[in-house]
Amino acid sequence: MTIMLTLSAFAIGIVGAVPLAVGLSSSNILVRLATRLFVDLVRGVPIIVWLFLLKFGIQIGTFKFNPVAAAVVGLGVVSIAYLAEIYRGGLQGVPRGQGEAANALGLTRGTTFYRVMVPQAFRIVSPSIATYLTGLLKDSSIASTIIVTEMVFQSQAFARQHPSVEGILPYIIVGILYIVLSLPVAYLSRRLDSRMRKAVYA
Amino acid sequence: MFHLLTTWKITMPLSEIADGRIAPRFGIKLDNISKHYGDHVVLDDVSLHVQPGTVTALIGPSGAGKSTFLRCINLLERPDSGTIQVAQHTIEPGKDVSSRDLAALRRTVGMVFQSFNLFPHMSALKNISFPQQKVLGRSKEEADERSMQLLERVGLKEKASQHPGRCSGGQQQRIAIARALALDPGIMLFDEPTSALDPEVGLEVLAVMRELAADGMTMIVVTHEMQFARDVSDTLVVMADCKIIEQGDPRAIMSDPQEARTRRFLRAVLER
Repeated sequence: MTIMLTLSAFAIGIVGAVPLAVGLSSSNILVRLATRLFVDLVRGVPIIVWLFLLKFGIQIGTFKFNPVAAAVVGLGVVSIAYLAEIYRGGLQGVPRGQGEAANALGLTRGTTFYRVMVPQAFRIVSPSIATYLTGLLKDSSIASTIIVTEMVFQSQAFARQHPSVEGILPYIIVGILYIVLSLPVAYLSRRLDSRMRKAVYA
Repeated sequence: MFHLLTTWKITMPLSEIADGRIAPRFGIKLDNISKHYGDHVVLDDVSLHVQPGTVTALIGPSGAGKSTFLRCINLLERPDSGTIQVAQHTIEPGKDVSSRDLAALRRTVGMVFQSFNLFPHMSALKNISFPQQKVLGRSKEEADERSMQLLERVGLKEKASQHPGRCSGGQQQRIAIARALALDPGIMLFDEPTSALDPEVGLEVLAVMRELAADGMTMIVVTHEMQFARDVSDTLVVMADCKIIEQGDPRAIMSDPQEARTRRFLRAVLER
């Protein structure tokens, strides 16, 4: 469940953040203002509050979020906001001359963005994205508070049934599990990063 | 002029540049170009007419507006007013510029930057081929063939598969020149192409530019290389304080400047 939550929210975030990042660096002040407002609003409120609002605060007709859906949507939207900000930083990190050269060559805006800016921005942000992913993995534990049966929730259930010292045991196991899950992410991102650096300078 | 274009399109030999059978040459007319940022004037009613096949060197103290003026030619900077006439297109940058005119302008005018601006995530070959495929719609094979010809021409054939990060500044600048030439521009703009290079490495770039000038490319060059300006350019343009203060034969101006400001500038750069 933890992995499912993390990966779905991450998938939503990594795709959904693209248009938002474009909006954040738009030259149209209204678009920029609207996206900036969204990002700051989402980031300004703790994840746990968003999850409670989604789970218990929204009722449209007979529709209510079930816990898992609320958690995925909540974590997903928060990921969109954080990743959009990371993307924007990456796009701004690409030297100005790159866009100018593309313009001078007569490349279209789309080509310039997707073939010149994005690949370079991706190299800049890939470590930050990996850091965010490990953060998200651990933040997914917040979903336990809206009765999503992920790892921490199950530890709590166990602890409640065993109110002695052994109640601690599952937390220790869960802690180790988080480490085991986040290590490969860190490792893969380092490999990816060094490979891309080689690709640029080799 | 037209039959030249067609033969060249079919055969596309590299030698076309060497023996002068190049794409049609264009002149360019810039009239009354003005630009300011807020209250700060950067270009004050500047006009310049460049004849096809000539080399124009733009010199002057820094802050005179040379680079800005050059960047206004292909609309990297948008002038507030004035007209640009190139290749049967008249563009008034103060008004809305249609994307068709803009595309035509950028196809006609190639540019080389002080900081090279090669795409670091592409090999040298890809840097030159990619724009050809996107802008001219050439196939990958056609584009690569043309790129290899140009790389050979600038003496960097063996660098084709290398990324720019592995090339020296001078090599990068020569690749950047090849990239611009690959789109068969009628005019080439050079924005201080050797300023980021140490003097020795700058020579290899200047050599390519001399060759290009000898081939009859229309060139506008912002430079601090006085030797190059004197020997290679047909017209020397001196800018100071957002204006063109003097223009004409480079040797005449350098030996006998008419303006006090020109004299002061030339003394500073020549007598050091």
